[in-house]
Amino acid sequence: MFIYLRNWCFSALTLVFLAGTFTAQAQGDALFKAKCASCHQPHKNGTGPKLFQVRQKWTDGGAKEGSIYQWVNNWQNAAASDPYAQTVSTWAPSAMQAFPELKKEDVDAILDWVDSQPEPGAEGAAGATGAATADPLATEEESSMGWIWIILGIIFFTIVVAVGGVRRQLKFAAADDAGEPINESLTYSEEFKTWAWKYRLYVGLTSLVLVISAIVTLFLSGYSIGVVEEYQPSQPIAFPHAIHTGTNGIDCKYCHNSVTLSKSAGLPTVNVCMNCHKQINGRTPAQQEQIAKLYKSAGWDPAGAGKYTGKSTPIIWNKVHVLPDHVYFNHSQHVVVGGIDCKQCHGDMTKMVETAKVQPVSELNKIEGNIPLTRPTMTMGWCIECHGAKEISTGSIDTRNDGYYNEIHKRLLNNDKTLYGSYLKDGKVTVNELGGWECAKCHY
Amino acid sequence: MGMTRKYWKGLEELRETPEFLKSKEQEFPTQMSVEEFLGDENLKETSTARRDFLKFLGFSVAAATVAACEAPVTKAIPYVNKPENVTPGMPTWYASTYYDGVSYASILVKTREGRPIYIKGNKDFGITFGGSNPQIIASVLGLYDSARLQNPTLKGESDSWSNIDGSIKTAIKSAKKIVLVSNTVISPSLGMAIGELGASLGATENPDKFEHIQYDAVSYAGMRLAYEATFGKNIIPTHDFSKAKTIVSVGADFLSSWLMPTQFASQYGMRRNPAGEWMSKHFHFESVMSVSGSNADYRGMIKPSEQANVLSYILKGFGVASGVSSELSKSVIAIADEAIKSLKATKGESIVVCGSNNKAVQILVNKLNNVLGAYSKTLDLNNTINLFKSEDAKMNKFVSNVIAGKGPDAVIFLGVNPVYTLANGKQFGEALGKIGTSVSLASHSDETASLCKFICPDHHALESWSDFNPTVAHYSIAQPTIRPLFNTASALESMLVWAGKVNRGGKDSKVSYDYIMKTWETYGFPAQTKYLDFHTYWNMAIHNSCVEMTVPASEIAMVFNDAALAGLAGQLPKSSGLEVVMYQKAGIGIGLQANNPWLQELPDPLTKVTWDNYITMNPVEMVKAGYVTTYDQEHGLNLAKVKVGNNEVTLPVYPLPGQAENTIGIALGYGRGANGENIGKAAFQTKEYGGNVTLENGNPAPIGANVFSFVQSENGTMSYAASATMTKVEGSYLIAATQIHHTVMGRHSIVRETTLDIFKNNDREAYNPPYMLSKLDKDGNHVKAPMAEFDLWDAHPVEKIGHRWGMTVDLSSCIGCGSCLVACQAENNVPVVGKDEVRRGREMHWLRIDRYFSSDEEAVPGQRKDKETFSYDKAEVAALNPKVVHMPMMCHHCNHAPCETVCPVAATTHSNEGLNQMAYNRCIGTRYCANNCPYKVRRFNWFNYPSYKKFTEVNPAQDDLGRMVLNPDVTVRTRGVMEKCSFCVQRIQAGKLVAKKESRPVVDGDYTTACSDACPTNAIIVGDWNDMKSMVRSSSDDKLAYQALEEVGVKPNVWYKVKVRNEKNDILSKLQVAEKHESHVEKKNHH
Repeated sequence: MFIYLRNWCFSALTLVFLAGTFTAQAQGDALFKAKCASCHQPHKNGTGPKLFQVRQKWTDGGAKEGSIYQWVNNWQNAAASDPYAQTVSTWAPSAMQAFPELKKEDVDAILDWVDSQPEPGAEGAAGATGAATADPLATEEESSMGWIWIILGIIFFTIVVAVGGVRRQLKFAAADDAGEPINESLTYSEEFKTWAWKYRLYVGLTSLVLVISAIVTLFLSGYSIGVVEEYQPSQPIAFPHAIHTGTNGIDCKYCHNSVTLSKSAGLPTVNVCMNCHKQINGRTPAQQEQIAKLYKSAGWDPAGAGKYTGKSTPIIWNKVHVLPDHVYFNHSQHVVVGGIDCKQCHGDMTKMVETAKVQPVSELNKIEGNIPLTRPTMTMGWCIECHGAKEISTGSIDTRNDGYYNEIHKRLLNNDKTLYGSYLKDGKVTVNELGGWECAKCHY
Repeated sequence: MGMTRKYWKGLEELRETPEFLKSKEQEFPTQMSVEEFLGDENLKETSTARRDFLKFLGFSVAAATVAACEAPVTKAIPYVNKPENVTPGMPTWYASTYYDGVSYASILVKTREGRPIYIKGNKDFGITFGGSNPQIIASVLGLYDSARLQNPTLKGESDSWSNIDGSIKTAIKSAKKIVLVSNTVISPSLGMAIGELGASLGATENPDKFEHIQYDAVSYAGMRLAYEATFGKNIIPTHDFSKAKTIVSVGADFLSSWLMPTQFASQYGMRRNPAGEWMSKHFHFESVMSVSGSNADYRGMIKPSEQANVLSYILKGFGVASGVSSELSKSVIAIADEAIKSLKATKGESIVVCGSNNKAVQILVNKLNNVLGAYSKTLDLNNTINLFKSEDAKMNKFVSNVIAGKGPDAVIFLGVNPVYTLANGKQFGEALGKIGTSVSLASHSDETASLCKFICPDHHALESWSDFNPTVAHYSIAQPTIRPLFNTASALESMLVWAGKVNRGGKDSKVSYDYIMKTWETYGFPAQTKYLDFHTYWNMAIHNSCVEMTVPASEIAMVFNDAALAGLAGQLPKSSGLEVVMYQKAGIGIGLQANNPWLQELPDPLTKVTWDNYITMNPVEMVKAGYVTTYDQEHGLNLAKVKVGNNEVTLPVYPLPGQAENTIGIALGYGRGANGENIGKAAFQTKEYGGNVTLENGNPAPIGANVFSFVQSENGTMSYAASATMTKVEGSYLIAATQIHHTVMGRHSIVRETTLDIFKNNDREAYNPPYMLSKLDKDGNHVKAPMAEFDLWDAHPVEKIGHRWGMTVDLSSCIGCGSCLVACQAENNVPVVGKDEVRRGREMHWLRIDRYFSSDEEAVPGQRKDKETFSYDKAEVAALNPKVVHMPMMCHHCNHAPCETVCPVAATTHSNEGLNQMAYNRCIGTRYCANNCPYKVRRFNWFNYPSYKKFTEVNPAQDDLGRMVLNPDVTVRTRGVMEKCSFCVQRIQAGKLVAKKESRPVVDGDYTTACSDACPTNAIIVGDWNDMKSMVRSSSDDKLAYQALEEVGVKPNVWYKVKVRNEKNDILSKLQVAEKHESHVEKKNHH
């Protein structure tokens, strides 16, 4: 009983202690991300030096008691009073911000959390590389399956020919036995002709079916020409959308920042990447390898305090969503005027571990809020299907409360109302009804 | 029907030659053979069997299918550091200035992803009011010219700047005399840099050591000398045509080539609106029909030597005896009398200009302007023009020194090409070798540069900083719109480097920028009071591209010096039997851009000839002299040899109605690269299946002939007219003209014309009656109703729903300059097809400018069909001096488009915004639509112009560099599809999107077409016709608005506005007022 009670008490205490630790840890994590993460990392020098066991470092370096807390509040005061802090203040490249609001407990919470962070190593790498290697394996499997079919086909064909030969020999033998004359000169093809003539009805019908199905197959496969669903070219940098927009919740428009301005959404220019990646150079070797490519392109030397060398090279990406030259598509029209979410066409990028691919329409339809479509992604059928379904407004177009459409509304009312009435039959005015299916809206 | 006169495009049409009658029935002049269509002459040579053809066809279908299955990987390369002002997919505009030594304009340059692709006039700032010309608009193509020098050269071999600068510096240091020959330098900074170079060479101590000669290929020295004689100052005053109620021009083509046409055309256009406060009255006396002459209300034909007589005659009308003969032909006197009457009525509000470079003639002009009180009204003696300061006497002395071997030790050529533009250029070129150090800053290894020891190529104008001072009170800036493509350096930098002031700055050099900014900081900024700090001032100057200063008041009042009038008679040009005029064409000018295929293919505003130089002659005289006056794709024109002094050229003789008797005209600017200089492939003649025509010596054959050799010094200035002899030469020469193509099937209701008088005093019925048809009214009576009430089909729902894009073209203000055509070509990636294809009637221009000649003698269409009264002889007389209407013609976007109904694959359809859409990918090339188009504006892609070798020389899209000029918003069409004007639908889409994003209705200015953008006289208005407040709506509702070929009932979205001439025209009055009245009276009597 006592033991039980003691155990219970111990457990309870442990729990309380752990809870306390967890609270402190959680608080440290949050504070670190809010206040420090833009310049500091636990294990890497960035704009500011790494913070792992920094208190120990200061103590070892002979800093005055508590001077580190003073430093955080106002580093200039600390530098003035403490010689060690003075040496720290020479650290390039830029002066630290003052955080007078951080109490000693807060700083400790932050540094406790930092010290609890493991040195990035093997265990994190496994997961990341696993995802990266899965793909080549899969394609290899697929291609080896193809080979199996070819080999099986060859074996099957050989068997058919061999069996045919055996049958022929047996036939000769049977004929010989029966005393019939053997027509040795009859070749395979002549024999086949004779056979086909004998069963001409079946052969004819089968041939007809075969020919028709071949034509139908050809015709149907013709429709798949230019269909690029699932198209996912290789990329120079294995960019994980899932981490950027998923885990870190970065808005699409932060990187694709001309999406509201121009027909092109724009790939992020390297300087945009470097806004964050000056600090973040990867936890795992795999990530570091990828980010190193970015540094090379930006001409960024991450060593020491980091600086630009001025030798930059652009990154050559492989375009994923490629429209033919005779198609005009404007992102800003769809995003700003149409209010279409990126997901409608690009799918859920927060779950896209690898670089982008053309999402099949079946995937797009699974996303909540998307207009369900049937034609393959990136085909004209897909575009106009959406233009037929997407409403400019529910009800008459002045409900949009938009100067442009109010004017169109007024003009439509001036007409005899049958036209406008026909638009509104289904309770909404679609893109198509205002001319969204016309050739010269997209082709010129 | 009798409300207008007879219009004809060519003499063939006027005379109805059998060839014309045959060809007018055909849309496409000849049937094309399969071999030709396949585009490979080898097939033709090997007489391909049909089976082989089918094999090829089968293979290519299979190959195309296989190729289509695999989409090629497309690359996407973002910037490393994106410039702040560049958004991928969006244009960035820069305000800049264009000056090439001849043309000057404030411009706007459109760039896409850092590439300049389009130039238009700046309508908001500058002294040119948005005016530009075809050469300025086409100059963007010159940037991507792969024949431009990519490195500095020493004796023809590429070398480094450091080596070349070193050698030049040493050479000029040790030289005893250095001469710098440049065109007129209107750049204050470049002028100062040249001064610094002179100073560094010791010119301050020893002025003879360094001489700077300004030399223009076409000189206005006579005008400056006349002002020196009459007002005591060597100036050219600024002209203001917008204040002139009467304009008298004696041989000055001020709308296209004389002085500052970019400015003058805009000013002129402001006063050609018949409904405006007042309309100017334009009198023109000239020898060769020019753009200005064709727009005149009254046009007299004179010989160049009679210019003084006209001026003297008018002076006599004002009681001034000039001592110069005023003998003129009767018809000219009639017009001159009319001019005197008008000048008297508008005293003080008139302007007289003259194209002569003869000092004495210009003194007469000054006297006349002085008598008329034009100074301080339309001519400003204080605000003077800084262009054209050619020092002909100095240049002549220098040239003769060089030829005599007494030349300077070093010579530098900047912006000039004297070997080509001097009359004795050949001897000068040969003598250049004797000069120790010769340096050219030309961008090409042209006629002069190729003979120089060093070539230090200057940047293209779109790559460099520059500043200009075109008139006393106006300063402007040119800014670069692209990083230099090649290893070139700005001329300004070269001057400073050779002066030892700066070091080379390389590709990202800031030398010119810093120097120009310094100049503006030192001189411009202190001279104004509006801006308090220099940076605001400087940023404003760059943003607007120019600043306006106050005109310095004259210290002493300028008084006309009558002594200048003494003894003029002896200094006038001598008259002779046959006089030749050397004029400039709208596209080619003096040949600066002779390698620009857009300009070579631009049909001349009057002759409609492309890719050629010719002798213009009056057809009446040609018939007498035994030259053929009609031609077509298989029948050429006769050749003739023209001899002036010891120089002669052989060219085809072109029948140009309106050419004065006993005169001929030959355009300058042709015959470039006569010794095979590498100035670009398009500057040379091309063969039928690609490649340049070669001469016996292996050099490519130049286009046309150089007549600068005819420009002789006369009474101290260069004369652009000379006495000549002309002899017929054996052989004929094929001409590629667009004149006889696209006939309108003899339907003459296409052009409407009236006079200001009729317009002011009559209602619309008289000059612009609607086309009426008979119908039955409710009571079963026959009544007349306007065409608009009739519909064969259900109307497209285009009215009162959304937008309806429309256009009006004012024929009164259209001057036919050709700017719209080139702008359209640049905007819409219109392919260049070359002479051979144009000759076959396969030019691709989406917009053409129809030039109609009209004759008063045979005024009523239909009359000529009556064989009893029609006489060819009378028609010949009509061709002597016809009147001209320029009519831009593009797709009319008919609401009942005949093309749409015949397309078997629905490739051309109607949009609910009133557009006639063309889906290239659907088109299978049946060409039914083109056959069914009443306006003949559809163009068929006979070939794959961007890749077929026939077009390698002429089509810029075949060149990796030239391709950069293509507009990424417009598809490059391929073989076998139809194309036509789209109303710049890409701009409609962009304009609508701007309005949508700003949540506001589309307003005027959101959408303009390239043609309307480029028009210097604002003759073309576009916009949303359903917007009741739009300009296009009010313009199309105007009394003058009509629709071409209204009776066809296609209900187009393009309106024309009746051509109104400010003239007295009895025949027209009779037709439009008197006969109408009579018929009304008749009707009344009948009832």
